[in-house]
Amino acid sequence: MRNRAFPVRQHFAGLICVVVAIISLGARQQAAAVVQKSPLLFSQSATSTRAIALESVTLRAEPFKLTSEGYFSPNDPRTRIALFCMNLDLLAGEGANALTADVQDATGTIYPLRVEYVGEVPPTVNYITGAIINDFRGISMIIVRLNDLMPADPGDVLIRVNLHGMSSNRVRFGIGHVGGGLPDDPGAIGTPAPQTVPSPTPTPTPDPFTGPASDADTVRFLEQATWGATTAEVNRVKAMGFRAYLNEQFNLPVANVPKGSNYPDLSFPVDDPAQGCPSGSPPECIRDNYSIYPVQKTFFTNALSRQDQLRQRVAFALHQITVVSGLNPLDRPSWLTVYLQALDRGAFGNYRTLLQDITLNPEMGEYLDMRLSTRTNPNENFAREVLQLFSLGVNELNTDGTAKLDAQGIPIPAYTQTNVNEFTRLFTGWNLSPTLIAPNTTNWRDPMVPRGGTQHDFGAKTLLNGVTTAACSSASGAANVACAQADLTVGLDNLFNHPNVGPFIGKQLIQHMVTSNPSPGYVERVARAFNNNCQGLYPDNPCSGARGDMKAVVTAILLDPEARGDVKTDPNYGKLREPVQYITGILRGFNATSDGVLGNRSTNGDLPGSLDQPVFQPATVFSYYQPGYEVPGTGILGPAFGILSTSTTLRRANVANQLIYSGILVNANTPTGTQLNLSSLESLAANPGAIADQLNTLMLHGTMSTQFRTSIVNAMNAIPTSDGSFARKRAQVAAYLVVTSSQFDIQR
Amino acid sequence: MATTRRDFLRTSACALGGVAMASTLDSFGIVHALTPQQATDYRALVCIFLNGGNDGNNTVVDLNQYNSYAAARGVDLAIPQANLLSVAPVTGGSFGFHPNLTQLRDLFNQQKLAVISNVGPLVEPLTKTTYQNNTGKKPLQLFSHSDQVGLFQTAIANVVSQTGWSGRVADRLTNLNGSSTFPQNISIAGINLLLTGVNTRQLAVADSGTTLANVLQLIMTGSTSEVNSRTTSFNELRNYDRNFTLIRAASDTRTSAIQTDQALSNFNPILQTAFPNTSLGRQLLQVARLIKACTDPAAGINMKRQIFFCQIGGFDTHSAQIGGQSGLLTQLSAAMNAFYNATVELGVANNVTTFTLSDFGRTLQPAGSGAAQVGSDHAWGNNHFIMGGSVLGGRFYGTYPTLALGGPDDTDSGGNPRGRWIPTTSVEQYAATLASWYGLSSVDFAAVFPLIGRFATPTLPFMA
Repeated sequence: MRNRAFPVRQHFAGLICVVVAIISLGARQQAAAVVQKSPLLFSQSATSTRAIALESVTLRAEPFKLTSEGYFSPNDPRTRIALFCMNLDLLAGEGANALTADVQDATGTIYPLRVEYVGEVPPTVNYITGAIINDFRGISMIIVRLNDLMPADPGDVLIRVNLHGMSSNRVRFGIGHVGGGLPDDPGAIGTPAPQTVPSPTPTPTPDPFTGPASDADTVRFLEQATWGATTAEVNRVKAMGFRAYLNEQFNLPVANVPKGSNYPDLSFPVDDPAQGCPSGSPPECIRDNYSIYPVQKTFFTNALSRQDQLRQRVAFALHQITVVSGLNPLDRPSWLTVYLQALDRGAFGNYRTLLQDITLNPEMGEYLDMRLSTRTNPNENFAREVLQLFSLGVNELNTDGTAKLDAQGIPIPAYTQTNVNEFTRLFTGWNLSPTLIAPNTTNWRDPMVPRGGTQHDFGAKTLLNGVTTAACSSASGAANVACAQADLTVGLDNLFNHPNVGPFIGKQLIQHMVTSNPSPGYVERVARAFNNNCQGLYPDNPCSGARGDMKAVVTAILLDPEARGDVKTDPNYGKLREPVQYITGILRGFNATSDGVLGNRSTNGDLPGSLDQPVFQPATVFSYYQPGYEVPGTGILGPAFGILSTSTTLRRANVANQLIYSGILVNANTPTGTQLNLSSLESLAANPGAIADQLNTLMLHGTMSTQFRTSIVNAMNAIPTSDGSFARKRAQVAAYLVVTSSQFDIQR
Repeated sequence: MATTRRDFLRTSACALGGVAMASTLDSFGIVHALTPQQATDYRALVCIFLNGGNDGNNTVVDLNQYNSYAAARGVDLAIPQANLLSVAPVTGGSFGFHPNLTQLRDLFNQQKLAVISNVGPLVEPLTKTTYQNNTGKKPLQLFSHSDQVGLFQTAIANVVSQTGWSGRVADRLTNLNGSSTFPQNISIAGINLLLTGVNTRQLAVADSGTTLANVLQLIMTGSTSEVNSRTTSFNELRNYDRNFTLIRAASDTRTSAIQTDQALSNFNPILQTAFPNTSLGRQLLQVARLIKACTDPAAGINMKRQIFFCQIGGFDTHSAQIGGQSGLLTQLSAAMNAFYNATVELGVANNVTTFTLSDFGRTLQPAGSGAAQVGSDHAWGNNHFIMGGSVLGGRFYGTYPTLALGGPDDTDSGGNPRGRWIPTTSVEQYAATLASWYGLSSVDFAAVFPLIGRFATPTLPFMA
């Protein structure tokens, strides 16, 4: 994607004089107000929001046509438009893919635009002396490609660009004709080029985040890195800084040291529940040995109380990428524990190790049928999904996560059915370890092992990117076992080393933690961290040491300028809190005491399950929702919106109502129940504004608008102080209104 | 003290004005002409999506090809011929339904059910030759679950579309519902692409385990006065920060839900027809209730056109297929039969057409080892059912594939062909036939089904 706008560069020299003329025109006007830290798109005058915009090839002014008159490729005749701006804080190495852009037409429809070029406007130079006549290096030109789905004649559209989550002002230009379109944004003013050309911005030095942090950014950081901000953690992390917090998290001990995990080992019950829990057994026998209850309980207990939050958050994201579902009959908690332990190790380990752990995980062997796949009776299930979901994705990717296109502009498949067939052969001949854990107790604990015999396909195989395996020396016995093992190593190396993995996995982790629509530049920085490429934004010294180092990936995700900052104004920024995160955010924010029973067998029913995220029981290997889900009518991704329907949106509010107004009661399966502690808010009840302010800081990191605040203060004031329970009721209503708001739903 | 939705609605009806109302209308996709031309009759389409890829090879077997079927499937996956439920279609030939499809066999014999053979996503007609030598254009990401689910629902096989064909049909036919503001497209199985249009947004509700009156219930605890003031603010907050795309999207979804709840809380239809208490049974019972609520004048909703989406999973039978698919087809047959009976009870049997979709068919050759553990892998063309009083039933449509590994319909030749059928009928033709019956004018075909012109006939003759 970077610097792809070759037609532009060819014509750049010709463009300069036009630019000079236009900027000189603007220079007579008064300098515009500068939006701090946000890109500023130039308009033609102080009294107009009409953009300084040029068709990038012909250099003609508006109205623009959707199809360029001077296009170069018959497969891509779409018009490119040049715009000019200042205040672009591009980091070293950042180019066009750091920027995102969109236009909105008169119908309100928003069309994302691809930014194909960004660069400083070069100075005009005296050719003889070399002296600079006019220095424009503080001004940048941006080239955008119009969207293929736009109508041909919408009239005026409003355009904005975003950098690092910060939105520019919106200026207008006409497509088809000039005029019409939406009114200017409220408060919009003309933004002509300044009278004095701004001095070039020195390339910013990335913040190392070694010092203390702000309140707002600390809360934002904890929303991304943990299961929800608490007042205590905000104060602690704010003081120590994000770097120190990451280092702390990377080094915190886990509960189960030998397994590198927070999940305790569970005993493996005999295969047959009727034998393991014969009639007369206490009811918890089935619950604790043959149901998902214990692992869901451990999950929430850890999420609410253990300090190693970051590991848990990353592991849950990995669970949604490398899925094993504990759906009946795979809901044995001891089986799932082995899988969850692998995810915990993988969170701060190496992705290659995780890939192997997942491949040979016995429950995965059952879930995707690898353990049934043999030379003479192969089964494609695992081979196809390890390619599609756990490593490459369906299309060839650039490092920044955008699809590579063929000459016709069509994405290039990353693999073919032939590749699936070859990997199917490569993964044949494995099964559960034949060593029983105990009589009648199958080994669902240890990694799968080769079956031996002639069960592994011992022939030569052609993998991806020209990698092949030779036929094995002998077809059977020990040679077959060795062949299966050697093939597995080659095959997983082949997948792991494919250039897709960094952007494919990295983008999904960003989506789970930070924002659903990261700029390609952000994905690229994270992918470079995955690739052990020293050109990353934060090259740990020297680099991270290894491809696939998840600590480097997580660091790159959380310390990126697109993740950090007190406020993000890009209107497409952020992500919908997935149900689990929504629930834990409420419980942690309001200091809940809980036994962790929020899923199956909670007295309130399965809370995340009622929101279509039954923990560790997604419906298919495609998880609870899909990373490519586009929010209808928006043109942008919103993966978790795939499970936010007219039903679940109301249940979400009802979950909040239950937690805030009644909690979860004590019962046989809920030993202590779950209760929020709103005392901090209650102590402020005489002053509803103070309650609102505390909620604003902790739950909305300072983004609560004045009208939002007024609205909830009114709701609190409706409860008179004469009410004997007014303090509790005011705290409850304020908490309810904040956590049921769309402003809280969307983590920004 | 708990205040429930009805108390809440008394206040919310007033509070939901202005912006919230406008956005709801947008999201319902009911921004239509000022003089709507309401349809005079009622018609509904009901999709049953068999998630995971139903094995059509064991769903409907061509008995004239039984020997090659049995040879390719082997003893672990072939259904014994004596167990198949034989039918003699009006259109000729001799076929066997899966042994557990007894009710569907009966409906077929009553000419209320038809089979469409070897249908699947196509960009253009393909032959084995044009498929193998790459001169023919192929659908995106063949054999991938997520992508093929998408192609069956979008019916555009050469792009990643963000709208489904039923959504696009609904976009164009909102006027047939006159002034009704109720959502045209309703899912009982969560959000799906099929029902999403450019403007059309789907209502998603729970199955019959919840009554219609409670299906969109918002619960607020507290006294009436407390709930009222809370509700005021609760509704106000959705009008703020709408310049942020995802905040606006979340707010609009909730506003739609609250708005629709008001219509549904007025009427609680009871069906006499017994439905099986299975996932699909409960979903189809809820559809039947919704049809009654939306057509009974007493309810005041008065819909003329509706599209419903139901779904059951578990069809990705890479292993243990004989046991797994049998149970699912038992469920399918019993639930479809109950639903047909319910449409008879409601007097709309000729006005409701039910059809199946699925990710893909499955390989004729088995996958995996171990007798009862054998399954099949992802393939392409598949056999599907269409049911209703307006279906020209008792017939087979399309062309049943040649059941031969490496044969004329198999994608593969040579060393290890698996039996993946190149479709001979496209999803677009299947969908356009249903859409045409629903009311889509043929002049709108190209807009809804952009590739339809590439096929010999835009529709098939399976609807009366």
